[in-house]
Amino acid sequence: MITAKGLYKRYRKTVAVNQLSFDVRPGVVTGFLGPNGSGKSTTMRLMLGLDHGEGQTLFDGESFTDIRRPMNKVGTLLEAKPFHPTRSARNHLRMLASANGIGDKRVDEVMDLVGLGSVKRKKPKGYSLGMAQRLGLAQALLGDPGILLLDEPTNGLDPHGIHWMRDMLKHLAAEGRTIFVSSHLLSEMQLMADELVVIGRGTMIFNGDVNQFVRDFTQSTVVVRSPSADGFAAALEGAGAEVAKGKDGELVVSGMEIGAVGHLAFTENVELSELSTRSASLEEAFMSATGSSEEFVAAEPLAAPAAAPAAQAPATQTGGADHA
Amino acid sequence: MLDALRYEWTRLTTLRSTYWLIGIGVLCSLAIPVIAGIVVSDDPLVPETVAAGLNGGAAFGIPFLAVFMAIIGIFATGHEYRHGTIQPTLTALPQRSTLIAAKILVISGVTVAVTVFSMAINALAMLVFWGDVPGLFEDPLRSALLGYVVYTLIYTLAGLGLGLLFRGVPSALVVIFLMPLIIENLIFGLSFLPMADWLVPVVKFLPFLSGARLMSLDLSMMSGEGMPDFDYFGRWGSGGVFAAFAALIIAGAWILFKKRDA
Repeated sequence: MITAKGLYKRYRKTVAVNQLSFDVRPGVVTGFLGPNGSGKSTTMRLMLGLDHGEGQTLFDGESFTDIRRPMNKVGTLLEAKPFHPTRSARNHLRMLASANGIGDKRVDEVMDLVGLGSVKRKKPKGYSLGMAQRLGLAQALLGDPGILLLDEPTNGLDPHGIHWMRDMLKHLAAEGRTIFVSSHLLSEMQLMADELVVIGRGTMIFNGDVNQFVRDFTQSTVVVRSPSADGFAAALEGAGAEVAKGKDGELVVSGMEIGAVGHLAFTENVELSELSTRSASLEEAFMSATGSSEEFVAAEPLAAPAAAPAAQAPATQTGGADHA
Repeated sequence: MLDALRYEWTRLTTLRSTYWLIGIGVLCSLAIPVIAGIVVSDDPLVPETVAAGLNGGAAFGIPFLAVFMAIIGIFATGHEYRHGTIQPTLTALPQRSTLIAAKILVISGVTVAVTVFSMAINALAMLVFWGDVPGLFEDPLRSALLGYVVYTLIYTLAGLGLGLLFRGVPSALVVIFLMPLIIENLIFGLSFLPMADWLVPVVKFLPFLSGARLMSLDLSMMSGEGMPDFDYFGRWGSGGVFAAFAALIIAGAWILFKKRDA
């Protein structure tokens, strides 16, 4: 169990982390989301005492800097390649293990576990980013800890690696461990995380269940296909719904439940070829929730491909930018 | 503390640079008695030759071993920042003062061991050329040799402190080489000029110059006719100036290390 209370960090005039408080429960994967520069890494560093700020984080009731042999309790992965270029991967782990009473046998075990057993005597400077991430995970797992705190562990991994990491973290959570993992890969988070902590500009936006987050920050839409789409669109708008046309001519209806749409089609005597609901994704919810919290915003492309506006239409309907 | 010592020992012994820096330092130091043996082995051994042979010419301003050990000292902390390993280090060993204390103890132990080993093989080389190494355990040679060990240790610890202070390698290297070679020599040289005689009382507080007196066989060599009266401290007093300099750097770096973000 991780308990963070009142985390606060300021860099001169910029508040990087602003009074964050949250709990991370054991037995589930808790995702840590936020746009670039939102303070995720700083928060993790504050939690581990690497950065100095205000607030307190307890790992099963203990502050990280008070834990003797912390790798046996809290496993961490922060930077992608924090390795000395001339020290072998195995020796890197042996060095850290020696500070925590962990033997060489366990070092070899975790190297095999993450799939680096055959290259453990090689220097990490020759590792790809994905291999470096695996080594980072091996480092986090060295002490077989009950708590894992991982910053962007899927960065640089190929699809197989991402799948492997997802299964690994879910498996570790199922063993009753506390898993706190930040990521930009929202699709992965949707598959991996059970709970979320979402921040923007260092401030808490959401803390709770993934499905609740999607519900809170998006609205479901109803998709209608009909030979009389134009006429039915007018009827829907007349009944108070918002209607947009999708790229294939379908109607995307918001502000009206699917049952009411069906009933209106029945009373208007309109033939329907499709009547379905479209749920928003975590990505859409994330965009909705953090839209105003982006620290670094890129310019829009000058000229979009012809198909782009139509392709984006559903997202516009379901994205719920109005909720940001 | 034992965990931290184990960590630092493993860190040091799993780096290739540790071995080649020690190797080069010991070989450079060994080169002095070997060259002397080839050139002047027909001359009888005098204490000055014994001292210079055993300390690898350090007393004459070329402290090879001390310089290479100081680089190891700089790497002890500077490398952690240069390669970003300070983060995994502090997540494995988050007690910052314990970590620094362990680094100081391990580096000190290795420095003393390597210096004594270097003196031993230098003595062996002299034994080969001259057949005898007289007066080893008699003053002032004994004190000068002990002073050499202390000098190398302080030099190394100054490097460790600078690496931690600057949180990197290049700046620390610049300071540890620039200070004795340029800044101190400049102040020492200028103090001979009448217009800059106000520098004379400063000279005895120049850390590396004072530190060198630890290894001197004849402490009057650095003063005499035609030279300003620098009013130097004695061997151990001068060593104290050098030690205070290193202690000041380490204390400052230690305090900042505790306060700064990693």
